[in-house]
Amino acid sequence: MEERHYPDVDETVVREKLPNGLEVHVLPKAGCSKTYAVFATRYGSVDNRFAVNGEEIRVPDGIAHFLEHKMFEEPDGDIFAKFAKQGASANAFTSFDRTVYLFTAAGQIPENLETLLDFVQRPYFTDENVEKEKGIIEQEINMYRDNPDWQVYFGLIGALYQRHPVRIDIAGTAESIRRIDKETLYRCYETFYHPSNMTLVVAGGADPEDVIRLVRENQAKKSFAPAPEISRLFDAEPPEVGSPRVERELPVSLPKCMIGFKETDLVRDADGLMRREAATKLMFEALIGPSSELYQSLYDDQLISDSFGSEYNCTPEYAFSVIGGETRDPDALLARIREAIERAKAEGLDPARFERAKRKRIGALLRMLDRPESAANEYLRWNLRGGNLFRLPELYRDIGIGEAEERLRAHFDWNRMAVSIVRSRKA
Amino acid sequence: MTGPWFEQGQSGRIRLHVMPTKRFKTYQFTLYAGVPLSDADVTRTALLPFVLRRGTAATPETRAFRERLDDLYGAGFGFDVMKRGDSHVIVFQLEVLQDRFARGAGESLLAAGMRLLGEVVTQPALENGAFLPNYVDTEKTTVRKRLEAIVNDKIRYAAERCIEEMCAGEAYRLNALGKIEDLPRLTPETLHAYYAEWLKRASFDLYVTGDTTLDEASALAAESFRLPDGAPGTYPKPADCGSAGEVKTVVERMDVTQGKLNMGLRIGVRYADDDYPAALMYNGILGAFPHSKLFINVRERASLAYYAASRYDGHKGILTIQSGIEIANFERASAIIREQLDAMARGDISELELSQTRAMITGQLRELRDSAPEMIAFHFNGVLSGRSRDADELIRQIEAVTRDDIVRVAERVKLDMIYFLRDGKEE
Repeated sequence: MEERHYPDVDETVVREKLPNGLEVHVLPKAGCSKTYAVFATRYGSVDNRFAVNGEEIRVPDGIAHFLEHKMFEEPDGDIFAKFAKQGASANAFTSFDRTVYLFTAAGQIPENLETLLDFVQRPYFTDENVEKEKGIIEQEINMYRDNPDWQVYFGLIGALYQRHPVRIDIAGTAESIRRIDKETLYRCYETFYHPSNMTLVVAGGADPEDVIRLVRENQAKKSFAPAPEISRLFDAEPPEVGSPRVERELPVSLPKCMIGFKETDLVRDADGLMRREAATKLMFEALIGPSSELYQSLYDDQLISDSFGSEYNCTPEYAFSVIGGETRDPDALLARIREAIERAKAEGLDPARFERAKRKRIGALLRMLDRPESAANEYLRWNLRGGNLFRLPELYRDIGIGEAEERLRAHFDWNRMAVSIVRSRKA
Repeated sequence: MTGPWFEQGQSGRIRLHVMPTKRFKTYQFTLYAGVPLSDADVTRTALLPFVLRRGTAATPETRAFRERLDDLYGAGFGFDVMKRGDSHVIVFQLEVLQDRFARGAGESLLAAGMRLLGEVVTQPALENGAFLPNYVDTEKTTVRKRLEAIVNDKIRYAAERCIEEMCAGEAYRLNALGKIEDLPRLTPETLHAYYAEWLKRASFDLYVTGDTTLDEASALAAESFRLPDGAPGTYPKPADCGSAGEVKTVVERMDVTQGKLNMGLRIGVRYADDDYPAALMYNGILGAFPHSKLFINVRERASLAYYAASRYDGHKGILTIQSGIEIANFERASAIIREQLDAMARGDISELELSQTRAMITGQLRELRDSAPEMIAFHFNGVLSGRSRDADELIRQIEAVTRDDIVRVAERVKLDMIYFLRDGKEE
């Protein structure tokens, strides 16, 4: 058991790696009544082709998400019922590269932790319960089909990427999930839910030593096969975008427009990833944050609304940015953003704005840490990639304007850009 | 209540609620300002916070105002406008770091934050005694776009349409953002005249949490908020409005994949009533959780929906049900939902359902104290309804609720409205 304090953020981590490979991290919050726990596997929607101990397999799109749904079923009923009896709210989500199971509770923490560990480590799939889930997930897919924000976002990723599975919808399609059966679910489960591929993060009032002892004893009672040797297989992604512009029709009050840039020079190591994400986000903040000249002029000209924003995703396998929101005129918005980026490339970033961006991002990070759920989720996200959330302030301080400008020039390559638009059918 | 709670004070027309605590990394400021919800005022009240957030007398330029927020270590600033019972409430929120994290900031962030919030609410940017024409124009467009954008999110659209139809004869049918048709009439002058009146009429409640004292916060509030003289306003007891007596059905058609089935019911129990805890239990057993009757029967047993839930509005005394279903399953889903309502009325409630729901609701109440914004929102419920309960008191009341209490509530529940959003444009 190892304890470390981070004075920059006034946070402590107590951690241990168990003999079966499971990592446990506790973020104690003195005086907190509630405990929030997230149990995650490095397994998400992109992992649809892999080799285990040398044998290659291609699985239906959306299976990681399907598996997440099915984990909640137990031979003796639904796991929500058990959590409810123990006063805990439970949930789960699947993203591109991880599946996360979680609960929050103000009491019965040992029971709830055991329940979390046990249900995720005890798959129970039958032909019947797998069939039954298809109707539910089909309705989930249909819900997202009607959601313009989701459609414009996945439209963009599908346009940026030609082959990488980040382009597929996390839930798959009605057609792909029909091909899912219990054998394939077990196969995926055995591959990706080995403790050595998983991390548990617990934040809140629980005592770190008690938590770690409980997990240690819980794991010692279970036996696991040797850790499988997993190779995740991705087809080589060409540098070119798949399609520079895609449009979809849905009933919307104003067009939704997202502009994306695909990174082709990928960073693989954990420190490099952290630094790149931090530098790129600082650059975005200085360039198009709500207090930037560009943002305000676009708002005044009614080309953007309060929904306008940007994000940056950066992993060893894919990295891209997204800028956008609703707009009356996607082409005018694009032209203005392009012009501002070209000017910034030529003239550099404003040093005063850049310093403000640093303060702002450090402040936002500290504010976020007041919410145990957000703190644990962000900590986990960095941990799964080998990074450490609590090192971000020092990183932000260390990154100079020159580095952010380098990012600006490298990232905004017009040949690596795609635009996705959702608008109403023309009358 | 265990742990810190609010100390009460007063500064002119403002009721002050201060929670001195060192537990968090941030100071939270929340200002609620409420007036009666009415046809005549709804739009101009809604527009006010949009105009006020653009700038203050000291920093009239929006960019300069936002830079000021960035300089406060990336203060989080937001606003909302909501309807609660018979009231229309503007909310401003400001979150700034505690001074211990803001090395080299010069002035205390508590004082700077209070001053900024006071300026936003009471010293706006003006020109010739009226709001800036450019801000009023742009924000009128922003409000119009927000109202028009409700249709983009079909879940929200269906929920709002259901309330609108159900409460057709009441002020509660109004959207908190007002009415599009009122916007063109509002001018910088008329809006400013209304603002001056609003400052005299509204009930103001200011919450401050963090490392401070009631005395310090009172002194800062007195300096920062320049309100007309007078005593604090009070919220009127909500008027009673009975059920229409018959079930109204509205079917609306739009270009959607998934149908949205919503229901509106009068529960006739409000926050201040002795039966409020029993009404919370009723809603919990019916549909607030994944162990509730709606989730189990509509989703898990019949595989008809991804979501099926109920929501209880204790300020209005209304209960709503929402689900996303296959369009062809309208009759089946409606029948299953109505069966659950009948089961509630028959008292067909198991010991397990009672204990699960009790554990979930009391668990959520215990978790409140870990979040300053949630404690603030909870306390304000008491102010708004005229009956204060602290979380411990409500926990005790929930624990005392019996099946008979829930059946007594169930007997008062009347289905008023069935709303269905389905595919295909109407000719």
